[in-house]
Amino acid sequence: MYFEAELKGRKFKVDVVESPRFWKISLQEEGGTWIHYDMPKDDYKRSESYFSFLFKGVSYLVDVVGADTEYTVFTRNSFRTVRIFNDEMILHESLKAGGGLGADKELKCGMPGKIIEIFVKEGDVVKANKPLLIMEAMKMENEMRSVAEVKVKEICVKQGDSVESGAVLIKFEDP
Amino acid sequence: MFKKVLIANRGEIAIRVTRACRELGIHSVVVFSDADRDSLHVFLADEAYNIGPAPSIESYLRGDKILEVAKKAGVDAIHPGYGFLSENAEFVRECIAAGITFIGPTPENMDAMGDKLAAKALMKKANVPTVPGSDGSVETLEQAQTIIKEMGLPVIIKASAGGGGKGMRVVRDEEEIESAFRACRSEGQNYFADPTVYIEKFISDPKHIEIQVFGDTHGNIIHLFERECSVQRRHQKIIEESPSPSVPPEVRNKMGEAAVRAAKQINYIGAGTIEFIFDNTTKQFYFMEMNTRLQVEHPITEAVTGVDLVKEQIFVALGRPLSVKQSDLRQKGHAIEVRICAEDPVTYKPSPGLIRACRHPQGPFVRCDSYAYPGYEVPIYYDPMVAKVITWGDTRTEAIGRMERALSEFILSGIKSNIVLHKTILKHPKFLDGTYTTQFLEKNFEVIEPEMFKYVNDHVFLIAAAVTAFNDRKAKDVRQYNVYPNWKRLGRKMQLRL
Repeated sequence: MYFEAELKGRKFKVDVVESPRFWKISLQEEGGTWIHYDMPKDDYKRSESYFSFLFKGVSYLVDVVGADTEYTVFTRNSFRTVRIFNDEMILHESLKAGGGLGADKELKCGMPGKIIEIFVKEGDVVKANKPLLIMEAMKMENEMRSVAEVKVKEICVKQGDSVESGAVLIKFEDP
Repeated sequence: MFKKVLIANRGEIAIRVTRACRELGIHSVVVFSDADRDSLHVFLADEAYNIGPAPSIESYLRGDKILEVAKKAGVDAIHPGYGFLSENAEFVRECIAAGITFIGPTPENMDAMGDKLAAKALMKKANVPTVPGSDGSVETLEQAQTIIKEMGLPVIIKASAGGGGKGMRVVRDEEEIESAFRACRSEGQNYFADPTVYIEKFISDPKHIEIQVFGDTHGNIIHLFERECSVQRRHQKIIEESPSPSVPPEVRNKMGEAAVRAAKQINYIGAGTIEFIFDNTTKQFYFMEMNTRLQVEHPITEAVTGVDLVKEQIFVALGRPLSVKQSDLRQKGHAIEVRICAEDPVTYKPSPGLIRACRHPQGPFVRCDSYAYPGYEVPIYYDPMVAKVITWGDTRTEAIGRMERALSEFILSGIKSNIVLHKTILKHPKFLDGTYTTQFLEKNFEVIEPEMFKYVNDHVFLIAAAVTAFNDRKAKDVRQYNVYPNWKRLGRKMQLRL
């Protein structure tokens, strides 16, 4: 099965083939060469609630959380979110968004919280890495910043609002 | 001895107090909010009662509801833990009025230390060093020059109304006084419409070092040495150690004596902590504030002194004299505590959610006070700290090595945690040589993310994600094999375009 994956802004092509006793996995970072791994299935096996993964002899306990196109992998106290698409998804995404894997057009909140302060107003053009708003959750104030230069189309919340996880806070359009 | 004690808190500290109660044969009663029905402190206590909705303002901060449970359950005493009602003098008065012992200081102790300016004045009276400063506004340049001459350079001139780095000037040279003074006044005027400025001694290498004190109802007050808590993010401590690598023995004695004088000044009862700003260049220390409660980092003091601080709190509340004398106390070996928080290690953004896998570190000289377990959902309403790991060693090097070992055993998945950050700090040269200050994280950890994750090959993440994605799609019976991806992709694209 062929995938395209993204890890911290780096793009990879991934091919996974399952045989009765082996995982054959090939990786190619954008601009790099293909690297092939023939892994006995015994090197990637479930134990308790996680996987024991012997990668080139190094022992990792791995847990993978997620579904569809986004998986977060936890191991050795580190974690990485991998966005992964198989070719059909890539196709649909690219046709619908006019290229670019899912550039976000809205700011959503990842957890329930309270809006403390909003720094932008509708119609503003905001440069990358500028504060948009401050949200309070778990006794902490979290500043949300823009990832790219955008124009604020609509602000869906106001100061003092309590918001639920996944709520849209600000909608953007291209500047 | 008390028969029943109510613990007006949650999380790991509620469990810590439950443990002390159980060791003393005391029945423990805990309270919980709607969000905490599945919290481990509820499972481990003898009795548990719901006190209302999730936000702490409607549950853990409701003294009236807690007292109602206390009366219903027939408890003798209330232990407040830290945070929530632990420094609320009004709540203590209500407990006393209801005939229930409050395990902690008197309301008068709390009042005396609650007001920062009044506390500073009290400390001056007790001959405890405070940050030298102008004690009020400075109007003219001549006045400023006289004050600075008395205090010595460097100083910091601050606009009274200032904040966010505006209206602040550090003066290291006599020639800079005039320009800095004028700049602060004008910035104060321009930004905050108030030209008032004051002057304080500038501490270039500030460390946060605190002394644990303990008083009983018989007038005895002792100190249990220092804890260094300079590793902070967003002004909250994340790593603490005892003894501090920066405090020379003679200064340690002076700090201890000053802390005892401070506590004596207000006839302090119970466990308390005197916090000092410590100048690592001059080895001078200055009173900052007093915390009139048990601290999060109390286990490192327990590890180096062998005193169970929570039991001691209970004994003092029972009216017994302190079980140890100052002359009996020794600081043995070295202890470190790290706070494991459910948060992103780089941005410090909270990461509440479901804990999938959780295995705590074990082995010699490792203590883990935690309320995490697999299947537990960390609620969004409270502090992100889910566990503390404490290690002890004969030397500082051994304690650090043990901590690295313990952290590598700690498995926590589903939520993000700052364990990788701790591992990186423990390897940092500034931490290892003990010269770190309270600005350590801000100054040294801006671009360290790749460093934190370098211990894991990126291909591990990719392969694990790819195998899971493969299995997920196979389970959903998505097309199984796709051997010529690029051709197929192109072909399909062409088809759809037509």
